[in-house]
Amino acid sequence: MKKIIEKALAKGVERAEVFFFENLRTDVDYEAGKLRSLADTEERGAALRVVKDGKLGFATTTKLDDVGGLVDNAIATAAEGEPVTFEFSSAADVPTPSITDERIETLSVDDMMKDSEQAIARVNDYESRINIGSGTARQRQHLGVATCRGFEGEFERTTYEFYVGGMLLDGTSMLHTGASFSGTTLDVDHGELTARAIEKFDKARKNVDIAPGRMTVVLTPRAVADIFLTLALGVNGLYVDERISPLAGRLGETILDERITIRDDGTRAGGFFSAAFDDEGVPMGETTVFENGVLRSYLTDRRTAAKLDHPLTGNGLKAKRLIQSKELGKVPSPETTSWVMEGGETPYEELLGAVGSGVLVDSIMGIIMANLAAGDFSGNLMYALKIEDGKTVGRVKDTMISGNVYELLRDNVVGLSKEVHRTGVLGGIGSHWYPYIVLKDVSIAAKS
Amino acid sequence: MKNRITEVLKKFSDRCDYLEVHIEETEESRVGFTGDRLSDIGRRVDFGGNVRALHRGAWGFASFNSIDRIDEFAGHAVNQARLVGTGRSELAEVEPVVADVALDVKHDPRDVSLADKVAMMRAYNEQVLGFHDEIITSSLLYFDRYRKFWFGNSEGAMVYQERVDIGGRVTPVASRGEGSQSYSASFGGSDDFGVARGLEKDVEKACRVALGKLDAPKVKAGEYTVVVDPRLGGVFIHEAFGHLSEGDNVYEDKNLQDVMVLGRKFGKPFLNVYDTGLDKGYRGYLVYDDEGVPTEKTYLIREGELVGRLHSRETAGKMGERPTGSARLIDYRHPPVPRMRNTVIDNGDATFDEMIADVDLGIYAISASGGQTNGEMFTFTAADAYMIRDGRIAEQVRDVMLSGNVFSTLDSIDAVGDDLACHDGGGGCGKAGQFPLPVTHGSPHVRIRNVVIGGE
Repeated sequence: MKKIIEKALAKGVERAEVFFFENLRTDVDYEAGKLRSLADTEERGAALRVVKDGKLGFATTTKLDDVGGLVDNAIATAAEGEPVTFEFSSAADVPTPSITDERIETLSVDDMMKDSEQAIARVNDYESRINIGSGTARQRQHLGVATCRGFEGEFERTTYEFYVGGMLLDGTSMLHTGASFSGTTLDVDHGELTARAIEKFDKARKNVDIAPGRMTVVLTPRAVADIFLTLALGVNGLYVDERISPLAGRLGETILDERITIRDDGTRAGGFFSAAFDDEGVPMGETTVFENGVLRSYLTDRRTAAKLDHPLTGNGLKAKRLIQSKELGKVPSPETTSWVMEGGETPYEELLGAVGSGVLVDSIMGIIMANLAAGDFSGNLMYALKIEDGKTVGRVKDTMISGNVYELLRDNVVGLSKEVHRTGVLGGIGSHWYPYIVLKDVSIAAKS
Repeated sequence: MKNRITEVLKKFSDRCDYLEVHIEETEESRVGFTGDRLSDIGRRVDFGGNVRALHRGAWGFASFNSIDRIDEFAGHAVNQARLVGTGRSELAEVEPVVADVALDVKHDPRDVSLADKVAMMRAYNEQVLGFHDEIITSSLLYFDRYRKFWFGNSEGAMVYQERVDIGGRVTPVASRGEGSQSYSASFGGSDDFGVARGLEKDVEKACRVALGKLDAPKVKAGEYTVVVDPRLGGVFIHEAFGHLSEGDNVYEDKNLQDVMVLGRKFGKPFLNVYDTGLDKGYRGYLVYDDEGVPTEKTYLIREGELVGRLHSRETAGKMGERPTGSARLIDYRHPPVPRMRNTVIDNGDATFDEMIADVDLGIYAISASGGQTNGEMFTFTAADAYMIRDGRIAEQVRDVMLSGNVFSTLDSIDAVGDDLACHDGGGGCGKAGQFPLPVTHGSPHVRIRNVVIGGE
């Protein structure tokens, strides 16, 4: 990394910052209950930001034997670039512990196959007509950031992903469901996840009709994760700076129900995005975003922190928005890490039992197409169960949900469960900890 | 590079049923504006490859950046396939192609300087930000990619292809302080930098629509007759039917094969749908797919009946059907899987006026900001929409998200227009972790009955 900085400085740039990443990954994939493929990935690349004549340039490469080309490309973009408004990280006592789990490092392909095969066997025992898929992935990353101001940090990270699920066809009705895990540690209970997947199939075997209208909705932690994409954009420093966020200029105001407290925790043990520092060399940490409904902080990268005169929160990440995998070609931008929301007082079963009629919503198709920045969400209920007299009675299909998070989470919260569960986003990777949330008077559309 | 591929194939071919090597080099330029700020300017070089081995029905796959270690990765892929293979390898037979596909472009984006690309986007951005006080910010993106692909397999295929992919969008964002509204003018293509030029009228329209949405009420939830424009019609058929016709969704599932049997009736006799790689200039244009199979025009629905699907060699082989040149990958990090190219609802004979004339209460839905499917149910969002009242286009409404079910909605299409148009946006299609793949879609105006729309 230092070499790249030196080369850039030798070519006359005033400032330089390098991000380096190397990735070794193994994927085991089962389709239709059978081992389908084993895949290895070796990935390495570098991203370079330079300041030349006061202007910012950016280039990336996976051709690491051509550092000269990388530097030339960065300088060429700087010629057209924007005046720089922030500093790169300086030498500081940034602790750089590795985020690794020896259990992941020593995990063999046989172990990975065994975990998927056991899960598949259990689902198959439950119902042999399910077209079952499962996947296990282990990954070892080496990440580093170096700057001309003397910052130099590197760390290792391990990640583990597991999925079991499938599709059950009944006539032309398709039921897709499953359970998944992703994290930097192997603290996963495969048996419990498999049981959860089976339970989800079991509760949705029968399709039932629902009359459209406004009704009580119970959001599972997974659905909360999807709907909270709205809040993630709302507190994103970029959206605040551009005034697209309805939360711009509202720090300290009560925005949500007072029972809602949410933290963004970039150092959460086992969290999928947990790391020592972000992709700009800023230490990651815990940021209280909402405290008892009051907006306490935005999430920033170096540029937006400088622009908004807001503390650095260590959220400058090169993540592919929403999909949240590292993407070398992206400029660091504010992104959430792990969100942790405090639970309520009431056990989930009790909350559900108190719902006279309504819908339990677990996954919503098409939610990313809504005007999320405005807090609006909408979508087709992909996995949802009708609730009658406090019990789920069958699956609801061909039904749409819609609402505005800032209205519903302010005025319509009935309760939060005591239990807080770990979940990914959009049914995929990521790690957030959310309770069940019960909302009243949510709009549900269906064929009448 | 070809010699290197040949060496690897020679060295490892006899240890597995089938072996292929894919190497790729991409150069990308990107220009983005956010508000008055040039928020993204970058050049990306990406060089890497993969080896895929099939043995007794199972795949070993290795992708890598360290091309100098290709033998090691090839050995890995072969060993993995041998480790897991217990069945039978079934690849549909094709004539091995040996070909060089040189670039054939009207205006190569590499001949335009980065300064000119920045100036072009800056001009659009200034047009947007100067249009109206209530346009508070903007989001613009331009990219071009020049890509070289080398592909060889153990059957003797050796294909070198150069491709260009251009795309982007200009998105004004309007707001009065609470919640913002936007609309995109998007562009894309595979052989002409010109697709990014001369968009001033589209940009003006995007500004007007975004501003209009500030005053537009949210649509009322319910079941409506919907007329979709060609852009939304294209996204509709992509989501509603295209994905379900991809062979890998069906080939391992006997129950689903019974449902998706060729000859099944999905729509009325005037519904015809195809997917083609042959339309030069579009982002979905291909000469050979990423298994070295010549691309083609594949009919999916003819006169309302299912007549075909999109296949890789494996899905075609397993289902006893014909490969269609549809195996595609977004980059070397992934194996090729059956994907769409340019997916189109073919022309019918209805006019737009006829379609809306007898609609008492309906929605005219224009362009799409995205779509998604789970195979059976699908959903997509109209970027702009108007009520239809008493046979006329009436007030603008917003937040129109439509949903449907492939087994009933296609049959609810009761009119297909005569004004087919294809469109390339700057986004792409996502599947199995592979996003964004350049695809195109097209359609005439289409009328669909009984569409459930979410809303207030």
